[in-house]
Amino acid sequence: MTPTPDAIEYELRRYLLAEFLPGESPANLRDDTPLRTGGILDSVATLKVVSFVEQSFGIEVEAHEAGVEHFDRIVDIAALVRRKRGR
Amino acid sequence: MDLEFSDEQRGWHDAAVDFARHHLCNDVIAADRDEAFDRAAWKAAAEFGVLAMPVPKAMGGLGLPITDVIAVMEGLGYGAKDQGLLFSINAHLWTNTMPLVQWGTPDQRERWLPGLLDGSKVGANGASEPDSGSDVFAMRTRARRDGDHYVLDGTKMFVTNAPVADVIVAYATIDPKLGAMGVTGFIVDAHAKGVTISKRIEKLGLRTSPMAEVVFDGVRVPVIDRLGREGRGVGVFESSMEWERGCILANCLGVMRRQLERCLDHARQRRQFGQSIGKFQSVANKLVDMRLRLDTCRPLVYRIGRLKEAGRDCTVEAALAKLHVSDCYVKNGLDAIQVFGGYGYMKEYELERDLRDAVGSTLYSGTSEIQRNLVARGLGL
Repeated sequence: MTPTPDAIEYELRRYLLAEFLPGESPANLRDDTPLRTGGILDSVATLKVVSFVEQSFGIEVEAHEAGVEHFDRIVDIAALVRRKRGR
Repeated sequence: MDLEFSDEQRGWHDAAVDFARHHLCNDVIAADRDEAFDRAAWKAAAEFGVLAMPVPKAMGGLGLPITDVIAVMEGLGYGAKDQGLLFSINAHLWTNTMPLVQWGTPDQRERWLPGLLDGSKVGANGASEPDSGSDVFAMRTRARRDGDHYVLDGTKMFVTNAPVADVIVAYATIDPKLGAMGVTGFIVDAHAKGVTISKRIEKLGLRTSPMAEVVFDGVRVPVIDRLGREGRGVGVFESSMEWERGCILANCLGVMRRQLERCLDHARQRRQFGQSIGKFQSVANKLVDMRLRLDTCRPLVYRIGRLKEAGRDCTVEAALAKLHVSDCYVKNGLDAIQVFGGYGYMKEYELERDLRDAVGSTLYSGTSEIQRNLVARGLGL
């Protein structure tokens, strides 16, 4: 089933909280919370997120697309997913 | 956790001990002094099947479950004096052969695996660089695309097996600005034009396992020999480290068990002040500590095998095992020397070499500090 736009953000938030912010209040992770520049994700953790995004949303992320421009905030990652899926 | 061997594992383990006693104990004091790689023992190990054990049968391997492989490795560690050769075998298996098994294309496996499994080719791994050790993904070695090839330029440091290697699984960045996302894996023919074994590196321990610096100077690697996708070398590298962290430690278990048995025999037979030295509490305590360390290490190592067999991620568990076993390995090596007193300090008794071989375990496959970082990350810190 194709996730709705909101579901993309929801799935990302759920994954990030479980994987990188265990115990953190969900309210503290907003769609515009800086992940890379805020120190939540280092480069290796970002690669895990990239793999999650590829597997969960059925897209392929190129090496040059995994930088801060597309992977610093949930809203940026979701936008990349939508663009890759042609929506 | 049930740590009793199954009948099959017992068979493999005992065969490994017997093999190691006959083939991996050849004048190791001299080999250690001369840093000599035992090519005949390497070939014998391949004929015994060590190099094919974890590889699926469909790819020409023996397809052993990973806990069986760990049992074999424990047996080899117990029976072998030449721990350097075992270290070379581990590097070959976990950082060269298994990445090919896990990430290689059918064509890559067909071209590269047969020689790696039958021992006619020696594998190495090029990740660390002069300025990027623990911070391995800050590597400077570049891979520039040129038609249907990549051109590799850079220097790799601490490459185990390099002086005898035929195949190097190497990592290079397609663009340093991409950070870890630029790191890409390659299968490099070690005899290709532009590959130079530039400087042999002398070590404290594991001296029969040759190590060198490798320079890539305009090395042309066909695109068909890229290992995994562009920018996904970190995944290839991390998976190889997980294998290595788990399985290389099994050799250490064997050594620790052999040391304990030797020390117990010595403590019972050696008499001072009218009684066996084992009757002195200060000596007995060391033996108790050695036993305790061994008993706490084994479950951690075999847990990795069970998790891997279940297809589960074991990044944290492998790091915990690496951290604890390496620490205990060094401590048991020191205690063994102390139990033997002055004799333990002499080369003839071959305990000082065990200690020198053990020290590297706190450094290779990620230092103890890096293992703590991995565990801390797994705890969400």
